[in-house]
Amino acid sequence: MMALLIAQNTFREAIRDRVLAGVIVMGLVLLALTQLARPLAMGEGLRLTVDLGLSSISLLGLIVVLMVGTSLVGKEIERRTIYNLLSRPLPRPVYLVGKWAGLTLSLWTVSTSLGVALWLLLAVQGQGDYGASLAQALYLASLELSVITAIATMFSALSTPVLSALYTLGAYLAGQWSGDLRAFAAQAPDVVRWTLEAMANLVPNLTLFNMRTLAAEGALTSPEHLGLATLYALLYSGCVLALGAAAFESRDFK
Amino acid sequence: MTVVRRRMLTAWAVALVLGSGAFLIAAHSARALPRPSPLDELAYYPSGQALRPATLGHAESAADLAWIRAVQYYGEHRLTDNRYEHLAHVFDILTSLSPGFESAYVFGAFALAQEGRDFDRAYALLEKGIAENPRSGRLSFEMGFLHYVRPGGRDLPQAAEYFEQAARLPGGPPNAARFAAFARQHSGDLAAAYQLWKGIHDGSVNPMLQDIARREMDRIEEAIVTGRRERAVSRLTTPVVLIKSR
Repeated sequence: MMALLIAQNTFREAIRDRVLAGVIVMGLVLLALTQLARPLAMGEGLRLTVDLGLSSISLLGLIVVLMVGTSLVGKEIERRTIYNLLSRPLPRPVYLVGKWAGLTLSLWTVSTSLGVALWLLLAVQGQGDYGASLAQALYLASLELSVITAIATMFSALSTPVLSALYTLGAYLAGQWSGDLRAFAAQAPDVVRWTLEAMANLVPNLTLFNMRTLAAEGALTSPEHLGLATLYALLYSGCVLALGAAAFESRDFK
Repeated sequence: MTVVRRRMLTAWAVALVLGSGAFLIAAHSARALPRPSPLDELAYYPSGQALRPATLGHAESAADLAWIRAVQYYGEHRLTDNRYEHLAHVFDILTSLSPGFESAYVFGAFALAQEGRDFDRAYALLEKGIAENPRSGRLSFEMGFLHYVRPGGRDLPQAAEYFEQAARLPGGPPNAARFAAFARQHSGDLAAAYQLWKGIHDGSVNPMLQDIARREMDRIEEAIVTGRRERAVSRLTTPVVLIKSR
């Protein structure tokens, strides 16, 4: 219940922050720009719209996480509002989970709004049947943002906003390269291969949330993929938040 | 044990359990889920190796931009010097970024073959496409077509092979079987051609197509019975390249 209240508050704060509104406007502008590039794509304008549209949503979400997520706790410390909160019978893990849930909800709102705009754009062009694959791709992109938000929340509980942003960006890059790390591991000798594969499994496997290749063709992914991605996002976010909670518990706010 | 210490230990234990689960799912999904092919064949090429990771998971969008650049490159040289030195490289990078982008293979191969007069590179690009998309009838058909039209180097048995493959796969044009039968017949493999025409005759509901197939079957039968193979096999003329240099 308390986590829910904190989540609501974080969501409201994020909406008031104007960052979300700015990001949605920027997303709409980017979608419009893809239409300007369509004539240059020689018959592949649809593909261009879907690819760039989905990439824009994902990258704008990352910007929100870096701008808002990494200062979730830092801002409360700076404003000293955290003392009020933690002096109440509020377990610190609940506080972190609430913060994460609130920002995650904001990001899902952004990606859904831009996703609907993208679908409307396609529907106007007579390609409304891309809706299902677009919905799947957006769902996976939103799961990806949830995982990155959990990482940002953890770093936010440990460090300053600037350092948190750098660490989160580092985790994002490592996560995007996890597939390449695995491909590289396959060509290495045994011991190196095991080490690299373990590293590839430890960093956030963000490639699991990428179905833009399929969405560009209007194709659907398997229910197994969606199920695994959902479970992975829950477990990874849970793990990262628990680590953040463990570190946050040891933090002294005197 | 203090409350804080107990909470910390609990948090660590939860992290360990959830993290182990996530680790196992990551390992399982890497094995079980079909992913876009990694760039194995480009592993030792600096451009291919560096480019995909540099796109940070947005390889498809990068491929779209590369597509626009490739079309511009083609257009620029088509309107000026008709020299296409980097075309193969541009399409190689583009298709490495997006291995499933069939239009890029087809357009690249035809530009290389027709304007660049570089059939070997065109074949290489389509071979790469077929290796990445083994279920694509469209790519097999275009490969067969290039073998069929190559000026001075027409290879009818190879063309027939790819046309047959295209006829069996999804996405192949409906006339792939007819192309296969025609190429087999004029390559001199009359027995195979007869079977292919028979397949078209029996499988089609189009009376005109049935008539054509029947006529060719009769010609082949007659050629076999009389021993005069030239009655069914024509000497095909050298194809004309449609777009000439400016």
